[in-house]
Amino acid sequence: MMSMSNFPLAIIYVLGAALLPLLPRRVRAAFGLLVSIAAFIFLVNLETGASLTFPFLNYELMVCRVDRLSLAFGYVFVIMGFLGGIYGYHVKDTLQQVASLLYVGSSLGVVFAGDLFTLLFFWEIMAISSLFLIWARRTRDARRAGFRYLLVHAFGGSALMAGVLLHLQQTGSLLFTHFDGGVASYLILLAFTLNAAVPPLNGWLPDSYPEGTVTGSVFLSAFTTKVAVYALARGFAGLELLMWSGAIMAVYGVVFAFLANDGRRLLSYHIISQVGYMVCGVGIGTEVGVNGATAHAFAHILYKGLLFMGMGTVLYATGHNKLTELGGLFKKMWLTLIFFMVGAFSISGVPLFSGFVSKSMVVYAAEMEHFGAVVLLLNLASIGTFLSIGLKLPYFTWFSTDRNLKPEPVPPGMYIGMGLTSLICIAIGVYPALLYNLLPFEVHYQPYTASHLVETMQLLIFTGLAFWLVIKQLHVADTITLDTDWFYRRPSRLAFKVFSIWVCQLFEAVEELSIRFARYLVKVGANPAGYSVEAVKNAGHILLRTEKPAPEPPTFSPDRYRIPLGFMVLVVLLVLIVILTWDFLF
Amino acid sequence: MKRYRLRAAVATLIIFIILDIAIVSGHVHIVFPWSHVPGFFSFFGFLGCLAIIYGAKLLGHHWLQRDEDYYGKDDEHE
Repeated sequence: MMSMSNFPLAIIYVLGAALLPLLPRRVRAAFGLLVSIAAFIFLVNLETGASLTFPFLNYELMVCRVDRLSLAFGYVFVIMGFLGGIYGYHVKDTLQQVASLLYVGSSLGVVFAGDLFTLLFFWEIMAISSLFLIWARRTRDARRAGFRYLLVHAFGGSALMAGVLLHLQQTGSLLFTHFDGGVASYLILLAFTLNAAVPPLNGWLPDSYPEGTVTGSVFLSAFTTKVAVYALARGFAGLELLMWSGAIMAVYGVVFAFLANDGRRLLSYHIISQVGYMVCGVGIGTEVGVNGATAHAFAHILYKGLLFMGMGTVLYATGHNKLTELGGLFKKMWLTLIFFMVGAFSISGVPLFSGFVSKSMVVYAAEMEHFGAVVLLLNLASIGTFLSIGLKLPYFTWFSTDRNLKPEPVPPGMYIGMGLTSLICIAIGVYPALLYNLLPFEVHYQPYTASHLVETMQLLIFTGLAFWLVIKQLHVADTITLDTDWFYRRPSRLAFKVFSIWVCQLFEAVEELSIRFARYLVKVGANPAGYSVEAVKNAGHILLRTEKPAPEPPTFSPDRYRIPLGFMVLVVLLVLIVILTWDFLF
Repeated sequence: MKRYRLRAAVATLIIFIILDIAIVSGHVHIVFPWSHVPGFFSFFGFLGCLAIIYGAKLLGHHWLQRDEDYYGKDDEHE
């Protein structure tokens, strides 16, 4: 039976999204917040171990399953939905409000799904609702990026569906638990890693997230990839391939981020990098590893949301987001800078900020299993993170060349949203037990040890020193960076040629031919006898090798070869006489 | 100015090497080859930062960075 202890939270959001457009425009944003608060009340009443099954066709679907792993993700998703709602309180666009509610709801649907069919269902809603957060920007670039996003996720969704059906056929079970290999689980792994943006399946993320609306991208940055981390943690914990992919992904993200010119694209690449830590933790697969991945997802959703809020505020106020167009905003947008720096210190893992207590747990998990290369790769990614987000991005946005930008006033909701998120980031950093108590396994890790502090400070301070040393040589350029989306964006030109232009040309040629043939038939049909005579004559000329007569004069008259009417009448009469005679005689 | 920066850097490095020897060495439970190098993470941070900056610049300059309308050119047929 459905009760408070096993209530599927997605229902609240879906109902909310359905009701919202019916309400007066003035109260819609407040109603969105109310939905989040209602969801939070239901969330704290969920009980570990509870589940809700629901018969569907021949199967028992488990639409809600509560355990500590799903609860941890559930908490951060509901909180982030609320914070995003505050940040976007000024938004009057119903499309965005509905899409963001559905997006949060479907993410929760996936996280609490006990069976693969429910998972697949919410997985697809997640893809579609997030798509509208991109399209809601209503620019040409956003529309195009949205279509690419849709195609990539349709591919991922199909892989997931194929995997789920195959898995059902092989095992007869729809339950979402740890997968044991085989083609079905590789298909599912493909879909999960695509959503987690593991290279080379990462092209869609930096392509689409910078194109979303100011508030839309705050939501985008939080959910899709972290839902995938959750799914990997449940289905593929301990897969060594994931550990190495994660470690490489963490460095991949920071290298590409360094080359980015668009502020929100730079942040998008850091999503890839940070999700790399989580994927790595999941791949290590020990209790500490999965705890670390979960903790990092929790902290990351908040500080990355905060960073997107910060750059979004700059975009909102100035209309610019490219480093080549920004600079000198320090005096005009200092409050945004403060909030942004809280996010930047959190993501860089500065002590007393949230990243410090979560990121180090993944590194610790790798240390415990003695993967030295992984430890070094993750630390290298840490350096790159501080370099790009802690130093480079704020330097080129708020300091550097003053470009005399005139920022417009920013609605108070955006500041309140950033302020609250900053508070949570600091609270987790100062008092890690807040976060550690939510993790799936019991935590025996202490981040604030003298040695860890000394190591972290060395990394950060010397990264900063290196940055200041070469700062004069750093300049931003008006370029884009090729990524794996090249493989479907560039050949699209060829595909367009083959499937559209060539097909059209073929149609055109066939049409031309048939018209010519029809014209010929008309010509022949007007005077068949004449044409036959001409044809026989021509054939005779060709066979006998005699010279062809000069072509017919242009005043060709079809009557030249036409049989006289009297002749036809004579033939008919003769035939009639023959028949009559025959009839008469026999 | 340049000298001042250099001195500050060297001074920080020395402080951290002392801290490393005093606090970290001998107290870590999990030992890696670099655990015996005092100030390892200072060097790692410094060189790693330069490696990322110049590595990314090399990659970008010679291979990956293109004009902003690189993909835009495809859209003429729209």
